[in-house]
Amino acid sequence: MIDIQGLTYTYPASETPALNGIDLTVPEGQLCAVIGANGAGKSTLCYAIAGFVPHFYNGTLTGRVTVAGRDVVATPLAELAGEIGLVFANPFNQITGARFTVREEVAFGLENLGVPRDDMLARVDAALALVGLAGLGDRSPYALSGGQQQRVALASVIVMRPRVLVLDEPTSQLDPVGTREVFETLAGLAQAGGTTVVLVEHKPEWIAVHADRVVVLSAGRVVLDGPPAEVLAAPELSGYGLAPTRYTQAARLAVGRGLAPGDRPLPVTLEQAAPFFTDRVSP
Amino acid sequence: MSAFSLYVDRNSGLNRLNPLTMLALIGFCLVAGLALPGAWAPYAVFLLAILPLAAGGRVLRPFLSAALKIVLPFAVSVTLIQGLFWTGGTPIVHLGPLSLKREGLIFAAQSTGRILAVLGSFLLLALTTRTDALMIALAQHGAPKSLTYIVLATLQIAPRFQAKANTILDAQRARGLEVEGGIGRRVRALIPLTIPLVLGSIVDIEERAIALEARAFSRSGPKTSLLVLRDSHMQRIGRWVLVGGMIAAVILGIVLRR
Ligand SMILES: Nc1ncnc2c1ncn2[C@@H]1O[C@H](COP(=O)(O)OP(=O)(O)O)[C@@H](O)[C@H]1O
Ligand SMILES: [Mg+2]
Repeated sequence: MIDIQGLTYTYPASETPALNGIDLTVPEGQLCAVIGANGAGKSTLCYAIAGFVPHFYNGTLTGRVTVAGRDVVATPLAELAGEIGLVFANPFNQITGARFTVREEVAFGLENLGVPRDDMLARVDAALALVGLAGLGDRSPYALSGGQQQRVALASVIVMRPRVLVLDEPTSQLDPVGTREVFETLAGLAQAGGTTVVLVEHKPEWIAVHADRVVVLSAGRVVLDGPPAEVLAAPELSGYGLAPTRYTQAARLAVGRGLAPGDRPLPVTLEQAAPFFTDRVSP
Repeated sequence: MSAFSLYVDRNSGLNRLNPLTMLALIGFCLVAGLALPGAWAPYAVFLLAILPLAAGGRVLRPFLSAALKIVLPFAVSVTLIQGLFWTGGTPIVHLGPLSLKREGLIFAAQSTGRILAVLGSFLLLALTTRTDALMIALAQHGAPKSLTYIVLATLQIAPRFQAKANTILDAQRARGLEVEGGIGRRVRALIPLTIPLVLGSIVDIEERAIALEARAFSRSGPKTSLLVLRDSHMQRIGRWVLVGGMIAAVILGIVLRR
């Protein structure tokens, strides 16, 4: 679904490339989490998948980015919109302000695509139900909490039925309640299946449970790539400025103090942690 | 945080008009108020057209309160300044060593009338017409997308700026910056406020542009709309009549001024 080959990109007026020789293939339906320290190039990667790099930011790009069978670099942005959905951190900036109600706000993308009004109504209501905002369609989008606004942003993108959904730190500006709301929506979406999701996210506990795969970026390069249990428990994680899950941290501590044997893989989820700490291997 | 909009939904006849008809009505009030000669023409337009429309749209109270808040201070200051300091005018009211001049007062009445007509027209439009509906109507009649974008972006700036300024002020206050007190202190408090505000707003504008683009804003080809705008044969005729009225007012103004 996403196929990136040898992607190197440098912002205009910048010396060093923000992305440096990225190779990444994400199959259809996968939920691929991307983590990395500040400035690692996560947002730039999101923009490259959605076409804003290079179409919006210009700069120099080499390599190939293919999404849903389209050559992103050769396809104008207006044609990529709808195929590739993009959600980012600040909910306020994603509300167009052009529409009065939540329902109309969500419909904005479909209006631009010229979807007939009857289809539009059904799709908007389905998208609102999916993000758990079914009852709020007639409210002003400004009269919602941050978590609700972010779900409006999510619904506004989902309603266009993108084949690929790119989310750049969608919960970083939300409180714990808003964060949970958005994650639960994403989990539901992943379960509904079909959509390929690239998610930049800092919360390893959540990634460990829901992601199919974790990619670690550092200084514009992919440095680790694999299933969450493997990547999130990797000892080199802290070298890239990233913290492992609480479960991994506790397990590592226990192993270090001789309280648990060191020959088993470290847990990254609560589910894995319980047996790790309770199954004592008799000496 | 709220969207910057004065619109009040009163389910009135004006609310139900097609936004273009409303625009034509407002345009007529504006043109008539400014083109007809004489100091009293704008007042006549205000009293005979704008005010009854505001009443008919059931927005008289917010209309008057907003109009007075802006026009009253202007009227008082322009009357005093032009009345007292008009050079070479005929004094009609004596206030000790000073006097109010006739020409100055006429000038003040004239400019106040114009402000009243212009402000009243726009206020009426803002109170009775949804911006989104107006934009959709204009777009359906071939208005360029850049116009929609500019209106959109402008409407967004005020609430965003305010919310941001409050956040930054709170943060500065938490670090011990004094933001209350005398004028000097307040002005000094503004300086550390502006830099993050301006830089942050540039990032915001970029992000908003990306968000719009991600929702196919610049896609060409036919668009549809969830909001159904009412229109009728009568309204279409009414709009042409109003356009005719505008032209007539301009011609009348030119003829009468001769
Ligand atoms: N608009 C821009 N112009 C120039 N350089 C940028 C721009 N945006 C990001 N960068 C640079 O590109 C690198 C990667 O940034 P980014 O993708 O935002 O990282 P992350 O999202 O992982 O924090 C950083 O060194 C950053 O300074
Ligand atoms: Mg980022």
